[in-house]
Amino acid sequence: MATTTATITLSSADLLSDNLSLSASMNLYKGGTTDTGLDEIKYSRAIIPTGTNFVLISESSALNATGSNYVYIVNKNIDSTDYVTVSVRSEVIGHLYAGDWMFIPFSAATTATAGTDDPSGDDSDIAIQANTHECIVEYALFHDGETLLTHTSS
Amino acid sequence: MATTTAQITLNSSDISDNTIQISNLAHLYTAGTNTGITETTGLARKKFATASEFILLDFGLAGSQMADITADKSAKVYIKNINGRGDGTKYAAVRINSIEIGRLYGEDFMFFPWKGGDGKDIDIQTYSGSSADATETTVEFCVFYE
Repeated sequence: MATTTATITLSSADLLSDNLSLSASMNLYKGGTTDTGLDEIKYSRAIIPTGTNFVLISESSALNATGSNYVYIVNKNIDSTDYVTVSVRSEVIGHLYAGDWMFIPFSAATTATAGTDDPSGDDSDIAIQANTHECIVEYALFHDGETLLTHTSS
Repeated sequence: MATTTAQITLNSSDISDNTIQISNLAHLYTAGTNTGITETTGLARKKFATASEFILLDFGLAGSQMADITADKSAKVYIKNINGRGDGTKYAAVRINSIEIGRLYGEDFMFFPWKGGDGKDIDIQTYSGSSADATETTVEFCVFYE
């Protein structure tokens, strides 16, 4: 197993009348375990054209097995008006404007209808759509396995 | 305007052959601008012991801070499950509009943009394995918004 830590710091000297300084750390463990670290990662960079809602991270039955995966996404654009819309299981979560990042646990739960594009029957894709301009995003998936596709010639 | 930053660091020396260190710092701006967000709920703590799904952040609730959060703005949400890891089976399922986004096991946190919209409250329900569970759970949360 691997040891991966995530640390967040939220700070401001002038949002409140006193300093805001909030920090938290966590280990990325497999679901259902006390201290077994996730040992698989996918770290990617993509240019997202405008106008289409794309699957950024595709669900899979293996990903769904323990419900314990973690996703980090950052919008690398610079223009403050450029943003992407992030959805999980077809539910819009929010907009990542230029420079914004998000970090969430990613699980796929319950039900849907299985299909050729949805082998687990659980459409829990993370989707992304660039709105005003194409956006460069980087994203990392720390996970507990994913379903590898069998090559068509095998 | 205020200057508020959110920094993330993801570190591992053994998840791959080379050390992984991902780090980023974001300024929390109002939507589509370089103007800092000026409002926050502050850090709040909620303790509960129910197996039922309940609303943690009620979008648009009249008279509450959440009434100010509307679509196309730039709210950011931080939630942490303060409980210990325990036996590793207990978690708080975080939902938006009753759709599960992810599971916060003990000591886990999340930080994400919140678009909001009618019915798009942020709900929580606690589980032990696959069964809803009433074990006392404490979460801390904070919303930054315009």
